[in-house]
Amino acid sequence: MLITQKWDVIVIGGGPAGLAAAISAHDQGAKTCIIEREERLGGILKQCIHDGFGLVTFKEKLTGPEYAWRYIEQANERNVPVFLNSFVMDLKKEGNIFKLSLINSKEGAFYLSAPAIVLAMGCRERTAKQVFIHGTRPAGVFTAGLAQYFINIQGHMPTKKCVILGSGDIGLIMARRLTLEGATVHGVYEILPEPSGLTRNVVQCLQDYCIPLHLNTTVAKVHGKNRVEGVTINSVKNFKPIPGTEKYIDCDALIVSVGLIPENEIIEPLNVPIDPKTRGPFVDQNLMTMFDGIFSCGNALHVNDLVDYVSESGNIAGSNAANFAKENLQKRNLIPVTPKDNILYVVPQYVDLNQKSEVVIFFRSSRTLRDVKLKVYSDGNNYISKKYKVVRPPEMERIILNLSKVPSNISEINIELKGE
Amino acid sequence: MNKLLEKVKAGLKKAKFDNVDLYEWRSSIVLTGRVNSWDEKIQAGYIAANKGYKGVVNDIKVVGAKTDEMAKPDIYDNSLEGEQFDVVIIGGGITGCSIARELSRYNITIALIEKEEDLAKHASGRNDGMIHPGIADKPSSKKAHYNIRGNRAYGKICEELGVDFQRPGSFILFNSPISELLLPILMVRAEQNGVDGYKFFTRRKVKEMIPYVTEKQFGGFFLPSAGVLSPYKLTVAMAENAVQNGVKILLNTVLLGFEMEKGHIAKIKTNRGNITAGVVVNAAGIWADTVADYATDRFFSLHGRKGVDAILDKKTGKYQPAIMAMPDLLSFKGSHTKGGGLITTPEGNLLIGPTANEVPTREDYSTEPNDIDELMKHLELNTKLKRTDIITYFAGIRACTYEEDFIIEPSSYVDNLVHAAGIQSPGLASAPAIAHDISKMVCTILKKTKEVKNKENFNPKRITFPELNKLSLEDRAKIIKENPFYGRIVCRCEQISEGEIKNTLHSPIPVLSLDGLKRRFRIGAGRCQGGFCTPRVMEIMSEELNIKLTDIKKKGAGSEILFNETKENVSYSDKKLKTMLE
Repeated sequence: MLITQKWDVIVIGGGPAGLAAAISAHDQGAKTCIIEREERLGGILKQCIHDGFGLVTFKEKLTGPEYAWRYIEQANERNVPVFLNSFVMDLKKEGNIFKLSLINSKEGAFYLSAPAIVLAMGCRERTAKQVFIHGTRPAGVFTAGLAQYFINIQGHMPTKKCVILGSGDIGLIMARRLTLEGATVHGVYEILPEPSGLTRNVVQCLQDYCIPLHLNTTVAKVHGKNRVEGVTINSVKNFKPIPGTEKYIDCDALIVSVGLIPENEIIEPLNVPIDPKTRGPFVDQNLMTMFDGIFSCGNALHVNDLVDYVSESGNIAGSNAANFAKENLQKRNLIPVTPKDNILYVVPQYVDLNQKSEVVIFFRSSRTLRDVKLKVYSDGNNYISKKYKVVRPPEMERIILNLSKVPSNISEINIELKGE
Repeated sequence: MNKLLEKVKAGLKKAKFDNVDLYEWRSSIVLTGRVNSWDEKIQAGYIAANKGYKGVVNDIKVVGAKTDEMAKPDIYDNSLEGEQFDVVIIGGGITGCSIARELSRYNITIALIEKEEDLAKHASGRNDGMIHPGIADKPSSKKAHYNIRGNRAYGKICEELGVDFQRPGSFILFNSPISELLLPILMVRAEQNGVDGYKFFTRRKVKEMIPYVTEKQFGGFFLPSAGVLSPYKLTVAMAENAVQNGVKILLNTVLLGFEMEKGHIAKIKTNRGNITAGVVVNAAGIWADTVADYATDRFFSLHGRKGVDAILDKKTGKYQPAIMAMPDLLSFKGSHTKGGGLITTPEGNLLIGPTANEVPTREDYSTEPNDIDELMKHLELNTKLKRTDIITYFAGIRACTYEEDFIIEPSSYVDNLVHAAGIQSPGLASAPAIAHDISKMVCTILKKTKEVKNKENFNPKRITFPELNKLSLEDRAKIIKENPFYGRIVCRCEQISEGEIKNTLHSPIPVLSLDGLKRRFRIGAGRCQGGFCTPRVMEIMSEELNIKLTDIKKKGAGSEILFNETKENVSYSDKKLKTMLE
């Protein structure tokens, strides 16, 4: 007979989101544990040795490991139990209780059960094939995060001269990192007409190091049988290569930073509804998914650009999971928060009108816009009006909606960005 | 000039091949001359095929064709010099490895040489793993004959070898109401070929079985004997079991030529020295015509036909319980492919493909954007599938003769050579039956000079180790207690533990590359494509094999992942960096 341990809240993932969730759940009086598949807490922050983390929360420029440590310390102070090197094989619901089967080397195979689960599994990187890069399949095609791990954790160089595809934040940071380690970065190539990372990273990682950024350009083909020998780049218009613009670049690696995908495969058997735009679950303001008792936060919910927001969402999910475990929230009165003009996505996608508190809402614009007005409204009622000088899809925006101003009988809240 | 030659000549003339010459050689026909495109060369070959000659040797030159040469290992030593074997098999694909295992039943010495650093690196590791039901080929063909017999053998073989095998069955869907008129033709073909079980499903019945099937189907012909397996796992398993039974697998060993003595292979020249064999088996895949040429027995030419398959995320598997394809049956005649479709796998991923395009290269597995576009039509067969479900794609090259049939026979001119050539689809499905017949032919030749008996201690069961993701939680607990490394998951997408990686690294045939591990255990074959697990897998390889991280390769020589340690070659007085920082 395998052992089953009972908890109030189980947090899956020990990165910044999971740590914050576990701390806040614990502080709400819930018996909480963290499951982490790696040997140390901290998640992806362990390999992010550059600074810039924590500006919002701590008003300081911390490195990734430093930022993580602030939360690991808090978890340690509270003696929050952590299952390290432990892997969730399966997640089931039995009555009102979730049952997870786990394995690790020390305890073998065992079960954990709880009435509330917080999903904090983070995200994975989209690969070169997943953006349909063609040509051969040699060694030397890496995602930016993998290259970062090789250098910052394993202390080894995966390239001497490379091309970076995609101007996402990790790609930009890796351009600088590789340069500092003595590699030549021929350039960063971006299929879109504008960079997809934060402006501060474009300045600090590329411009300061004279690394060229080529917009409207993509890598069409990889060459080389055993190791990358070069790539063919191509100018594009509307995502289609322009014939005759092919250029061969001699390099030994192609590093891709072409997007992140929230990791939610673990909940697939439970059919938790997933937002096709964020690829994370639909949630309400408590970050509870459409499946009672399952909460989601951090990059598993939607890909964030600042870790401070990741921790904030962990905090929200954790304390609400603790409350749910204690008293089983009453029936929700959910209405959708619908993205209208120029809004790419909104999180949370629903609000529960039975609660009248303040709600944190994140959104991204679907394109770069200048001098626009944000409007949050429902038939006839206007809740928020805010002017923006500029909004860009890579920069997530955060607003607060006070639900006490919202009548209980409306069927939908809309959010839009419009020129003045 | 004889009638046959006249017939071919007339055919070529009609197709306006004015610069093509032809002559007879032994019982084959040889085409020479010059054409302007690769497609023309192929077309000329087909015109000459099946006109009564044994084979077509197509030596037509193509202006500006980009062909490639055989990639050879960079090793030259004499480590094998003077070794003698009863049988030497050329090629470590599914055909060669199946033959090796089959021959290991006898009291003879066997070596298999493979030019790559691992097995199944070409066509055998680059196909969709389908064990075809055997309806596609003409009843008189060797393909149909071996396909049916091979298909029947797989249940037992996979059990012996511990390889997952399923028979999800396969649908040939009708794309119009009139397709149903072809039903009697399909029935007759199935009957003649001896296909095991077949049945017509109405549109409604198809939908009952596959709820997400396209609305554009009009019923289908169901072939329950169609199976699926992992073709590279099977190839490795065949070889491992052969090694258990005494076969020597010589990797990184390439055939450079034969020393011929009056229609007899006297010496086998390799990069590791000269060896001798009672019988040589040509199972060299796309290079089988080159091997035949070394023995002055090139009575056929092979041409490469590239196929691209895309792999869909594992979560798609549940939407598609059976294989299905919707070939355009009305215009099917004259096509050299079954047309591709949606294929299930034992692991749960779906495959779409393969495409079929003639290529002048034999080992160039690069893909092009239009390959994927071509596959999209299969995606539409199931309404649940999306382009974004594709996690990766790969190409393989079929080794085709112009007759579009297998060559499975002892050489007519060399007394100790047996050919298993032109093995393309359904080569995987046919492998057990081909191996059976080839080993009979080999034994017949060997028996002229020695006594060939069954080995008493032949063990058909491959020694395997537990696979975590197939066990119940209770059984996992037991295994982890015995071997705690089984409790540490390394490949999160496919749920593979450190224990399995360690066991694989010490399996009977050495595994020296990341791709080699992937072929055996799907490490890095999941949706993240190795993004998370690669560094850890490399550390385990480094520890277990006692090599440096910088020595770990993706595949063969020159495919190292890492260059040097950070700081090893960096000089901070570097001028460039200085300018930047100013």
